[in-house]
Amino acid sequence: MSNRHKILIANRGEIAMRIMCACRELGHDFVCLYTPEDKYSGHVELARELGGEQSVYKISNYLDANEIFSVADQANATAIHPGYGFFAEDFRFARRVVRRDRPMIFIGPSWWIIRDLGDKINTKRIARSLGVPTIPGSDRPIYDEMEAESIATHLFEFQRAQDIRGGMVLVKASAGGGGMGIEEVQDPDQFRSVFRRVRNYAKRNFNDEGVLIEQRIFDFNHLEVQIVSEHGGKRHVHFGTRNCSVQSTGKQKRIEVAPGFAPAEVPYAFDADRVLDEITRHSLAMAEEVGYDNVGTWEWIVTPRGEPFLMEVNTRIQVENGISAAISRVGEQEHVDLVREQIRLGLGDTLGYDQSDVRFSGISIEYRLVAEAPERDFAPCSGRILRFQWQEAPWLKMYTQVPKNGAYEIPMEYDPNLALVIIWGENLQQARERGVAFLDSLILEGEASGHGFSSNVAFLKARTQGLLEF
Amino acid sequence: MLNIKELLEDIKSNPYKEIIVRSPHTGTVEFAAGKSGDMVRGRAGTWGEKPGTLLAHLTREKNKKPIYAPEKGEIVNIRTELEGAFVEAGQELLTLRHYLTRKEVIERILKQALFLFRAPERAKYYFIPEVDQKLKVSGKRSVKVFEGMDMLIVSRMKRETPLAYSGPEGLIYSVYFHRGDNVDEGEPLLGVCPEDQLSTIQDVVARVQSEWEEDE
Repeated sequence: MSNRHKILIANRGEIAMRIMCACRELGHDFVCLYTPEDKYSGHVELARELGGEQSVYKISNYLDANEIFSVADQANATAIHPGYGFFAEDFRFARRVVRRDRPMIFIGPSWWIIRDLGDKINTKRIARSLGVPTIPGSDRPIYDEMEAESIATHLFEFQRAQDIRGGMVLVKASAGGGGMGIEEVQDPDQFRSVFRRVRNYAKRNFNDEGVLIEQRIFDFNHLEVQIVSEHGGKRHVHFGTRNCSVQSTGKQKRIEVAPGFAPAEVPYAFDADRVLDEITRHSLAMAEEVGYDNVGTWEWIVTPRGEPFLMEVNTRIQVENGISAAISRVGEQEHVDLVREQIRLGLGDTLGYDQSDVRFSGISIEYRLVAEAPERDFAPCSGRILRFQWQEAPWLKMYTQVPKNGAYEIPMEYDPNLALVIIWGENLQQARERGVAFLDSLILEGEASGHGFSSNVAFLKARTQGLLEF
Repeated sequence: MLNIKELLEDIKSNPYKEIIVRSPHTGTVEFAAGKSGDMVRGRAGTWGEKPGTLLAHLTREKNKKPIYAPEKGEIVNIRTELEGAFVEAGQELLTLRHYLTRKEVIERILKQALFLFRAPERAKYYFIPEVDQKLKVSGKRSVKVFEGMDMLIVSRMKRETPLAYSGPEGLIYSVYFHRGDNVDEGEPLLGVCPEDQLSTIQDVVARVQSEWEEDE
């Protein structure tokens, strides 16, 4: 067990709450941040409850590193947990944490790993050097319009030659992530205007105009492999696979399932066990190669013919980590918490188990309850939530920043995510039934409900029936 | 038809605006301004390049950030008890009582004379690149707008959607939002002047300029 630490949580909402709870379980103190827009968030309430008023600081912006460090110094924090989003994949931030005059521990991979794998292009190069399959397209950021057009033309011709129906290319902000800054082009004549739009978007949001151009793979499934690595990068285990194919039109994940396929219950046109094994093997090999040293996710796409292509590596804890934990058991432990594992390993603890100790059981589904209107192209809604209730069950975990019986104002500055719901079932059929039972029990009322919440729940319910079918 | 005299009388009955100066971020405060009742200068220069009176310093991560008076005015409430303390973002440091300038009075009156295209929801707003470029190169009154014209990008909750202009045809006369700032629902984004009313608007401006006395 490591020394008692004070961990500054540089994040908000449900992940901040989970980090607080994990800190308490591990016997560490924490410091929590919030912005004026988040004053009603459950993470502020929980921080006050668990840590008192002195553990809560109001800042202007979660993305102001100076602000975070000034609070860390004032509160005498010894480590920083970035959560996901914000600074979680910013290697400069991670480097500054460990190199400043009063250094702290960055709970996440080492900064040079974030630098090398956080860059999608570099990841692609490392993957190609190891023989890991990647998506056809550019392997460096493109800034020049003429060059971009030449790559796109080549990809359109390649798809025509392969007889791929309705060939398309994807234009992606190379510094983006989480589905942000991605557009498709079907008509080569439209390429330039899309390229300019994505480049402008990338400049505004990521301060980098670099754009990637790739072949659009159709009707794919989006799979992930959860890796957990010990500090020092010597020992690696996986916590199985996830399927994150149910997404909004904005490429935002809405339902995730673990494991990635269920060949015992669903027929596939390819050997699903072989695909899961292949992506797990490739992910572990890459983790080994780069000396990965915390939790991370290898993201894959799998074509209807069962061909996997590595998309990117997320060098952080994922939103959907809870479903991997829900289907995993380690040794005699009944309960796995990947956030707790991340903190433990980040503070220098040893792994304490190997792959043979990790067992998998059942199917887990995660629903993202989001204030958005699927019928209006998933447009986000802001407004006030007045009532938020659901039926508790032993197979259900709810993570939310919305106070259960209190009013809550949805801030428009952040993602419109309201809650993460994790359902577990012995098999896919039971998990689906439990998922629908949960959604039926959910009461979510508010000023925005007329054009948002109810249709979001209806969307989740409709998509539950076909989960893991491909 | 606008009653300019009445509008001016109304503004003259309370020609002040209270400006609360807050800490823009966390840090340790050191006041530099005097005491309640002292007068301070606002930002000046052609491009606002000359800072106003130094009010305080806020130090964090070894960066000493000066906080200047945003406008000319009188200090009416200074929180000297915060001297040397670590403050959170948004902490009220002092209040300024500011006498409205001619330009501000014109803006207030123009908001009643122009067609105001308002924010449909709380969000950040940007001009589409083509309009943005034209405004930068040729100035505000160079852009003619018409019903259904693609004009703005609405950015909220990490999503961007286009917003078309809706209202009478005319020239953009005033822009009320700043790039990167949140605009509340219903707040004006643009003031649009139909071309045939341009001379009326210019009369309004001329009258305020002659009738409003600046505070020296």
